[in-house]
Amino acid sequence: MSGTALAAPALAASDDLRRDRSGGVWRRTWFDRIVGWALPLTVLVAVIPILDLAYWICVRALPSFTLATLTTNPSGAGGGLYAPLVGTLEILLLATTTAVAFGLIGGLVTAEYLDEAGAGVVRVTANVMAGIPSIIVGLFGFLAFVLAFGWGASLAAAGVTLGVFMTPYVFRATDLAYASIPPHIREAALGSGARPIQYLLRVATPIALPQVLSGVFLAMAIGVGETAPLYLTTSAAAIPPSGLFVPAGALSLYIWEDFQNPLPGAVHIAFEAAFLLLVIVVGLNVLVRLIGQRARRRLEGLFQ
Amino acid sequence: MSGAAPVPSGPVVAVEKLSVTARGNRKLLDGIDLDFAPRSLTAIVGPSGCGKTTFVRSLNRMTELTPGLRIDGRVLYLGQNIYGRSVNPVVVRRRMGMVFQRPTVFPMSVFENAAFGLRLVRASEDEVDSAVTEALQRAGLWEEVRANLDGPALALSGGQQQRLCIARALAVRPRVLLLDEPTSALDPAATQRVEATLQRLKEEIVLILVTHNVAQAARVSDRIAFLHSGRLVEVGATGEILERPREPLTMQFITGRV
Amino acid sequence: MSPPSSPPTPQDGQPLPAPPGPSSSNLGALRRILPYIPALIPLAITVAIVLVLVQATHFENFGRSFWSFNAAQNGILIYVVGSFLTSVPALALAMGIGLAVAIASAVYMPGWLASWTDPFVDLLSGIPSIVYGLWGYFVVAPYFKADVYPWTTTYLAWIPGFAANRTSPSGTGASVMLAIVILFLMILPVTTLLMRDALRSIPKDLWESGLALGATRWEVTRRVSIPYCRRGIWGAAFLGFGRAMGETVAVFMVIGQIPRLPTNIYDNTSTMASLIIAEVDTAFEKSSVGYQTLHFLAELGLVLMGISLAVNVAGRWLIRRTFTEVAGV
Repeated sequence: MSGTALAAPALAASDDLRRDRSGGVWRRTWFDRIVGWALPLTVLVAVIPILDLAYWICVRALPSFTLATLTTNPSGAGGGLYAPLVGTLEILLLATTTAVAFGLIGGLVTAEYLDEAGAGVVRVTANVMAGIPSIIVGLFGFLAFVLAFGWGASLAAAGVTLGVFMTPYVFRATDLAYASIPPHIREAALGSGARPIQYLLRVATPIALPQVLSGVFLAMAIGVGETAPLYLTTSAAAIPPSGLFVPAGALSLYIWEDFQNPLPGAVHIAFEAAFLLLVIVVGLNVLVRLIGQRARRRLEGLFQ
Repeated sequence: MSGAAPVPSGPVVAVEKLSVTARGNRKLLDGIDLDFAPRSLTAIVGPSGCGKTTFVRSLNRMTELTPGLRIDGRVLYLGQNIYGRSVNPVVVRRRMGMVFQRPTVFPMSVFENAAFGLRLVRASEDEVDSAVTEALQRAGLWEEVRANLDGPALALSGGQQQRLCIARALAVRPRVLLLDEPTSALDPAATQRVEATLQRLKEEIVLILVTHNVAQAARVSDRIAFLHSGRLVEVGATGEILERPREPLTMQFITGRV
Repeated sequence: MSPPSSPPTPQDGQPLPAPPGPSSSNLGALRRILPYIPALIPLAITVAIVLVLVQATHFENFGRSFWSFNAAQNGILIYVVGSFLTSVPALALAMGIGLAVAIASAVYMPGWLASWTDPFVDLLSGIPSIVYGLWGYFVVAPYFKADVYPWTTTYLAWIPGFAANRTSPSGTGASVMLAIVILFLMILPVTTLLMRDALRSIPKDLWESGLALGATRWEVTRRVSIPYCRRGIWGAAFLGFGRAMGETVAVFMVIGQIPRLPTNIYDNTSTMASLIIAEVDTAFEKSSVGYQTLHFLAELGLVLMGISLAVNVAGRWLIRRTFTEVAGV
């Protein structure tokens, strides 16, 4: 009671802020503090594996990684990764083109031209499609493009299949980008006499474009690491593809083909390919983050 | 959870030279001195951005939740500084309840909403039952919800939800109730009911009501404190402030020119 | 506090007003229907996938032998059990740890710290499946074999399935347990992100009024936030489960890929998804009775797709909105 001399001498226990221990205040407060220290530590469950993974991929890939790895073709259980690297990029280019062709316009009209009920239904279908496992999409590509269309295991079959897999990501990102433009921007534009198409091209698209781009890059980051759809639609060719309808190797395929290969050099190839793949994926993710952050900041500005 | 101890003689809450400073040395509150006697309803009025909300939030240490605020001066609860060392904010907040601008009922039944503060301290079922009934009666909600105590609180109307929030705060028997523009989201009829509740409650505990609405302050308060730019411009009995304000700023505000 | 904390929901999607001019009602109808053609591409592709799979099946196979544990006769139940046996524990772990990480990030960590740790969780979802598999096969499996299995067989043997009656048959450390751990890491970002977003969407007023009643942060989280986010948490569980069921190459690499019912968690088995990729090589081979394996894989694919569609529709219905673009959840 030393510091409370000013108060009336008979301060009831329930009014004394320091002496009050009713209802286990002390226990409750300490429990909260301990939880506050302990729960953040669970983040280590995510952080430690990612560091361990990055460490081991580097340790096992970098000693044998030279410039020749990037410039020479694979040969047997050795050689470089030139062909799969080129194959990956070409497949990714074809896949991105396909996904943008399928997803971009669809997402745009969903946000801009459909009524609420219609857009709701369309969004459900896009979300459901995003949930189809990649192995199923691969099986579809195998049955449709490789066999039925007769493209065989080829760059074309792999690119289009992967593009189908990436479509819902592009679709949803475009939809979200246009749908999150605040309504007063549209009203202001149309109210000041802009024609709808002018609003779309001159007002909405510049606002939405960064977010759309970040969605496309995200779809690429997800697609580039996929293995199952590629394994079903192309094969690990040792030279860069010379046309659309010849097999194109890919980095993920080389990991897949080599991880159980007993020849000593094969495992090196697998780790080098994994390292390259990680670099590409992390690079794309950083790009997504940077563009996405800028887009969000710009969008937030519009709400003020 | 015995009944509240006898009402003390001095002020229940005494604010001494209270300043709140945001990042960049921006003063949100600047040297406020104000006492709150038992059984009173003080309206804190002022133009928006004058620091009304910051003021009530600093009375139960809610300001601590905003990073970067510095608090100077003292807030005495029955003579004890709530910002003193070894004073637990959890204890402070049980003594001074708070009601927000919008009804903030929890996603659970009417009964469990009102019982929330009691469940935290593991009160017995009998205690909870009697305290919830009493709190709902004091908040003027009992007759409307007694038949449906187990229904979801979110099914109540906005005005009922706000009175449930008052009941929820009353259930732990605080000596002080802080109300931050409790009727700003309500329609006139619901506002009237909340005001009737407040007028009954001011016979029992200390009410501190933030409002931007001078008419509301005139209807329910005993005393008005006028804040402007983080400073206490003037405080006095409601009638006097409204009829014979001493400061020109107060005059301008109550006639609607600030 | 100007911008809304959650991404704006798609606003009233009123069709843009038609430009002035002569427009017959036919033209108006066309204008309304035309946008649906590109908008329904995802649905069209989904339907196409189902049709292609259906067309590749032999319906007479959907008989008794298909729904059996007899793998030699193309019975699928072993793989169904294998999928659930790995996905369910992985999901349980990912929900538990995910909720802990989400609460830590949304409630307890100061903003600057969360902005450092959040990207780690997001990055976890960006790592390709095949890289997880490689790491699991060459790094984690030997470690589990040397250090973890001896420990668990000694100290956790009282848990059903943890007692060893034989070592992992493939001898590499690949096991049901390893598959669960790798799957857990792969779906952890999905569940964490969705739950973190749900927890962050709690109105500030609601959070503060819990604290103003004298509750601690933990008490408000447990008694108010989690009930408030119930739907989002269930949605995270469904979507995480869908992810786990569909995982293919990483599971293949760490599960041993043997078609049999596991007797303990150190045993090998196979899942629906991993079987498809394991059998594709033989699917190319046309035997005397046609693409026999191919029919089987299409049938298995249909079952897998049915499960993932059901799980995804349920999850999306629970979440209603897509908050998260990062990680493509």
